[in-house]
Amino acid sequence: MSAFANVVFGGIFHAAVLFLVAAGLQLVFGVQKIVNLACGSFYALGAYFGITLVNAALKAGLPPVLLLPILIVAGLLMAVVGPPIERLLRTVYGRDESFQLLLTFALVLMFQDVLRFIWGANPRSLGNEVLTYGKLSSGDFTVPVYNLLVIAAAIAAACLIGLFLRRTSYGRLLRATAENRAMAEALGVNVRAVYAVVFSLGTLLGTLGGALVVPTSAASLDMAIEFVIEAFAVVVIGGLGSMAGALIGALLVGLIRAVSLVVYPEFEILAIYLIVIGTLLIRPSGLFGKAAS
Amino acid sequence: MTITRRAVLKSMTATSALAAASRLGAPAIAQAKPCKLGILAPRTGVAASPGISGLRATEWAVEKFNASGGIAGRPIELVVEEETSPKDTIERFQKLVQQDKVDCVLGVISTGVALALGPVVEEARALTIFWDGTTQDGVDEKLSNARYLFKSTDNECEAVMSSLLTIKHWKGQFKRIAGINPDYSYGRNNMAAFTALLKRFNIEHEVVTEQWPKVGSMELTSNVAALKAAKPDLIFSSLLFADLPVFMKQASAAELTQGTKLVFPAAGFQHTLMKKDFTPEGMLFGHNTLYFDNPNATPMAKEFVAWYFDKQKDYPNWEADRAYFAIASYKAAVEAAAKAKGTAWPANNDVIDAMIGPGIESLGGKGTWRKDHIAEQTFVQGFTTHKNNYDFVTLDPSKIETMYSTDLQKPPGANFWDWLKSAQFKL
Repeated sequence: MSAFANVVFGGIFHAAVLFLVAAGLQLVFGVQKIVNLACGSFYALGAYFGITLVNAALKAGLPPVLLLPILIVAGLLMAVVGPPIERLLRTVYGRDESFQLLLTFALVLMFQDVLRFIWGANPRSLGNEVLTYGKLSSGDFTVPVYNLLVIAAAIAAACLIGLFLRRTSYGRLLRATAENRAMAEALGVNVRAVYAVVFSLGTLLGTLGGALVVPTSAASLDMAIEFVIEAFAVVVIGGLGSMAGALIGALLVGLIRAVSLVVYPEFEILAIYLIVIGTLLIRPSGLFGKAAS
Repeated sequence: MTITRRAVLKSMTATSALAAASRLGAPAIAQAKPCKLGILAPRTGVAASPGISGLRATEWAVEKFNASGGIAGRPIELVVEEETSPKDTIERFQKLVQQDKVDCVLGVISTGVALALGPVVEEARALTIFWDGTTQDGVDEKLSNARYLFKSTDNECEAVMSSLLTIKHWKGQFKRIAGINPDYSYGRNNMAAFTALLKRFNIEHEVVTEQWPKVGSMELTSNVAALKAAKPDLIFSSLLFADLPVFMKQASAAELTQGTKLVFPAAGFQHTLMKKDFTPEGMLFGHNTLYFDNPNATPMAKEFVAWYFDKQKDYPNWEADRAYFAIASYKAAVEAAAKAKGTAWPANNDVIDAMIGPGIESLGGKGTWRKDHIAEQTFVQGFTTHKNNYDFVTLDPSKIETMYSTDLQKPPGANFWDWLKSAQFKL
């Protein structure tokens, strides 16, 4: 039973990490129709800066119990890269998707070099700060409390974005712009401002996700690409542009992966992509996506 | 002030005269035509860390060699190119050879790149020395008659050494074994070599799970859960990139490392990230061909480690040794060939023949080249301790094991799996 709980928890934790990467991708595509490959770079940026800020804070004598707020601050600070990048992306709004993909992929490569320039080529890692808040144990089942906080953060992010989009007037503006940009513009919506806000929010989700997850993991130059590939599996299953889809897609990928690692590890990647292929064949718009008219 | 054409010409003449005069008093080395060495090393991506470690060691060697006359009196000049995909790296290799006209090409870490580049090197007849790349497809040598190419030791050496040390130290103390290895030929061959040697030495064992995460995976909680569910006595892992500290951290948090024997032949690639907080004492830990804190290191190796720390605020891994071995071998061969032939600069063929010589003292220990152009080097492994002044684990000085690769890699032309069954191993 404990072993089963460990496996299920492992899957949910992986799902939480994937959701934090995929959420920004979903939000930006949902409103701006931009496939932002650089969302993984924002995640990496948050992770690297999170390590730097935590190390600096601990060196300055701040108590380790402040780990979580320090990481949130790191994520918030790094989100400042969002607006200038959105300004750059304006050059490809309304153009063929291939331009958007090329430009955002160029950003991935540029970010990789920037990270290397600032933090060096070696991976970076914190010590055992992940155990700052202790562990929950029952028999053979053990889980760091921090991992539960990451899961809670992913759920909170999903709920808050959902509430923002559905219950606030600005959220309605965003949805209106996503539905019909020309009509929204004609009705006086400042689409440029909407896009800037959405992209900044998408960036924030990435940098915050990276900063929050890094105590359980490490930061490396390749992490941006590693997570983006899996995030795409999540959005294909869940439906491009749907936040609920991202949540369910991440959960499906996380749990399927965890179970296959126990039952038949060779099947780990294949299992995920079989579901991706199945989704594309049976419901190309994804579980929660809207079919193209 | 008005600038006239005459004034500009005057000042240019004066500058040229000054420059010429300054060259008159320079030592002879500065007048000799530089010895151009092309370097192919990854500086970004998953292999950036070893690539930069190798580059720094090369820079250190060049600084040192140039201060004492360069190579056979010629100052060394580096032309550095990026190692990326096989196709792009081949193009950069051709640029180094045809356009930059380098005397020798050094570098290459990825065996995927090395396999593709090997035949191109032979075709171009350009002396090339790989740092860490082999031309093995799996464990089968694909370029056994190389003339211009020199290749690193077999990738499986460290797994063979770890397997032998596991049997030597822990025989009878484990039965249920699990593996978590990177999902490419290196990881799969290492795990297979480990189990093959257990079988060879009649060690009763049962493989309870084998995990194959893709290279560089940064989230391994589910793999840790799967390993924990399998309840292994011993875990064998040749993870070696950023995934290694991630695994250790997540395994430690899940209490997987408590009471489980750990065999990690390639952990030295990330040694400074293996923090005491989550890396236990007593695990079998491989440093390949360079252990930075080796109490038996030569004064030269100690000088290098100090220089590296001063420049990088870090400690070097084995790629530094591979890079030093490559450039120092080339220098030794050029100078030996020049002396034997009585010429200022020997022909390429004479340098190639001189490479197969008595060998040199590299940073990690003795190294030589076999007649089939595969390196023989010194490997270091041992058991971890927390008793040091670092925040990461090092090797317990009383439990450091050193082996020469003649005892760890298959002889020329042999099949690896057949050799494992018949070799006379010294435990």
